[in-house]
Amino acid sequence: MKHISRRLMAGAALIAMIAVAPGAYAATPNDQLIIGTSLAQVLSLDPQQGTEVKTQEILANTYDRLIAFNPETSVLHGELAESWDIDQTGITFHLRDAKFASGNPVTAADAVFSLVRLFKMDQSAAAGLKTFGFNADNAETLITAVDDKTLRVEFADPVIPDALLYRLANGVGSVVDSVEVLKHVVNSDYGNEWLRTNTAGSGPFVLNRWSPNEIVLLEANPNFWGTAPSMARVVFRHVPESQAARLMLERGDIDIANALTAPDVRFFEGTEGFNIDQAKTGGFYALAMNAGREPLDNPKVREIIAAYGIDFAGIAETIVGPYGRVRNVPVPEDREGAIANPDWSFRPEEAKRLLAEAGYPDGFSLTIKTIAQPPRVDMATAIQANLAEIGITASVIQGNGADIVAQHRARDFDLLIPQTSAADPTALGSLDNFTNNPDNSLEANNAGNFVWRSDWDIPALNDLRVAANAELDATKRAAMVTQLQEEFVASSPGVFPMFERFEPVVISARVQSYDAHPWGLTRLETVTKGDAN
Amino acid sequence: MKEFTFTELGKRVGQLLVSLFLLLVVTFVIGRVLPTDPVGAIVGELADPATYAAMRQRLGLDLPLYQQFFVYLGSLLQGDLGTAILTGNPVLLDLGRAFPATLELATLAIILSTAIGVPLGMTAAFFRDSWFDQFARVISLIGHSIPVFWFGIVGLVIFYATLQWVGGPGRIDIYLEGLVEPRTGLLLIDSLLAGDTEVFWNAVNHVILPACILAYSAMAYITRMTRSFTLEQLNQDYVIAARAKGASNWRIVTGHLLPNIAVQLVTVLAISYGGLLEGAVVTEVVFSWPGIGQYMTNALMIGDMNAVVAGTLIIGLIFMILNFISDLAYIVLDPRTREVTV
Repeated sequence: MKHISRRLMAGAALIAMIAVAPGAYAATPNDQLIIGTSLAQVLSLDPQQGTEVKTQEILANTYDRLIAFNPETSVLHGELAESWDIDQTGITFHLRDAKFASGNPVTAADAVFSLVRLFKMDQSAAAGLKTFGFNADNAETLITAVDDKTLRVEFADPVIPDALLYRLANGVGSVVDSVEVLKHVVNSDYGNEWLRTNTAGSGPFVLNRWSPNEIVLLEANPNFWGTAPSMARVVFRHVPESQAARLMLERGDIDIANALTAPDVRFFEGTEGFNIDQAKTGGFYALAMNAGREPLDNPKVREIIAAYGIDFAGIAETIVGPYGRVRNVPVPEDREGAIANPDWSFRPEEAKRLLAEAGYPDGFSLTIKTIAQPPRVDMATAIQANLAEIGITASVIQGNGADIVAQHRARDFDLLIPQTSAADPTALGSLDNFTNNPDNSLEANNAGNFVWRSDWDIPALNDLRVAANAELDATKRAAMVTQLQEEFVASSPGVFPMFERFEPVVISARVQSYDAHPWGLTRLETVTKGDAN
Repeated sequence: MKEFTFTELGKRVGQLLVSLFLLLVVTFVIGRVLPTDPVGAIVGELADPATYAAMRQRLGLDLPLYQQFFVYLGSLLQGDLGTAILTGNPVLLDLGRAFPATLELATLAIILSTAIGVPLGMTAAFFRDSWFDQFARVISLIGHSIPVFWFGIVGLVIFYATLQWVGGPGRIDIYLEGLVEPRTGLLLIDSLLAGDTEVFWNAVNHVILPACILAYSAMAYITRMTRSFTLEQLNQDYVIAARAKGASNWRIVTGHLLPNIAVQLVTVLAISYGGLLEGAVVTEVVFSWPGIGQYMTNALMIGDMNAVVAGTLIIGLIFMILNFISDLAYIVLDPRTREVTV
């Protein structure tokens, strides 16, 4: 018994020591910003490759772009460019005096190198600027350094200059340190293998450590050209489980959570000590219908499903919550030139009657494919239930991103729930994903294009979009944007928006000046932190 | 004895290699046949088909399946398990980083579950149908039937958020990150080697809850099995004889019962440990634990089959080694095995 008592006492002492272990409950320091996020899709830190939204905040703070825009007002301002001049044939950027984290000066040659490598690598990241006529063959001719501090970008096609500027304000427009990157080129890869896991920028922070699916640690860049950031360190911590992230935020172990589920975001609504910022991405949760497959090749059937077969309001209320709102026009509600939403609502009796008229009195069967992530997987289940009420038997097929995207690209689906992003914060930027399909033929294999994937042939809409993108007169362009939206809604679309997509971020009240960017490009140099309570 | 050991050892190693090869073939074929798309994860959803095709070729995915297999096998024999899409690192390097985190968690869990489960199971059997036996059965039933995910979240709510007894998700608090040089990858060991008690205690604070949660589910199985083994032995003549001779309960347990159930227990513990090493996926996700389970889950999500195949092989190898060790333990613990086979 004596031995047992001793062991018991030792055990109790160990538990007591654990319970009072030093430093376990210290609040996060005032000069460190801790962001709880999901790093699962952060596959590359190369700014001319990584397009995933959680990657953008890392890129936005380790690199500068020529220009950026205000997350609230969308007004453009210079980052590396102190000013720019627009003329009939192109844009001339005048660069400020700045240094990369390496100490190398930022020159126009670096900007040329960065933009040209975007087209030479020619990955998904280049898609936004390629629609303006740039490509791997013409990039070196159109993008040139006039001198060390002057960059000239010639227009490849007739474009609205602001639209081009917005696309350059994307993460892919980040300027990399060409001297540093060129040291690491292997097999003509433009330094991609090295730049995937390292940074070579001039932003307010530098990458200290990236452990995939664990942590990204940034430290203040002593060579930053602007006001020195208040935060000595910014840490992105991988917290994939939403409830765990919520508890960490409540406890003060993280300052910001940007990958919470809708119920966990709602938990913080009205909770003292926390603020919720909803970044309006300009993109949508959409429903893609395969217009190349029976019975979805019948425009009437597509119209019945879209306009009468889905309870958008109910899904928004119960599933989407802080992640969006109902919107069936491919221009966000707040955006200039947006038209009113059509009267698309769940009317099962009307839908059944119209289906019978269209030749399907007994309904039919189809599949709904979706990536197995909330809220999309829950949307699929809700749509399945709605369609059942109008006589359509839908089975939901879930898969990981790699599976579902491959099937989407291969036109191998009936219904599928993709999410879109805006190419720029204008009406035309949002319309692009839904009205762009220059060649619908199978041979065109335009698998990067959402409309092509739905096998939805829209020559007239496509021509109108092209014309609108080249129209320099703002009044005429506004009329064309209205026409595009109206014709889209009336065209029994093969892919249409269901919900405008928001990215909610919950922020501790200790954090000041954090302004969530619609594309995740939130700059952190002005963020400050107050004392913990 | 010597002849037996070498022959048997050779046979077992041969079996192990054949099993590993079969595992490799099955995992590789499944990984390649699945409609997954590692190319899209690299070049992005909106990439041109030409860029897409070029990357596919670069990864060797355009080759016929059998050629892909032989290329992979050739690299494997040279110790190259391929490059991970997720990190751009050799997969072996990634697994070398992720595995210690899982090893630390699973080892603590198996120690805790054994230390509690074996005595609990034996005591329950000793006092069969008593209130203690009922209690042990309920405890193990709960541990066996309630999902680890639920336990993890409830554990966090109670012990981390409400009582504030333990650290939160992750292996260590952020502000202590990077203070200790990773030598073994086991944070508890590395912090002790570095003499940094603050990091050590912080790491203990973070590991204790996930280890207990994992241990509970393993303990439920160990308790049930120990109880069953003990009940089987309690009716044996040698136990009745020992009781008749006036041996104390303690003497019966340590001198008679434990040696007789040791062989079966070793098998149960080996299976449990193997299960903890590969089955910690859910716990790792809930507790943001950067171990092999989470690594493989993410690899699977993006179709990174090099990482998935290599991870499966490593886990398979661990299982087989544990099985092998438990077989060897038979020989040490059970004299009858020696007598029969010599």
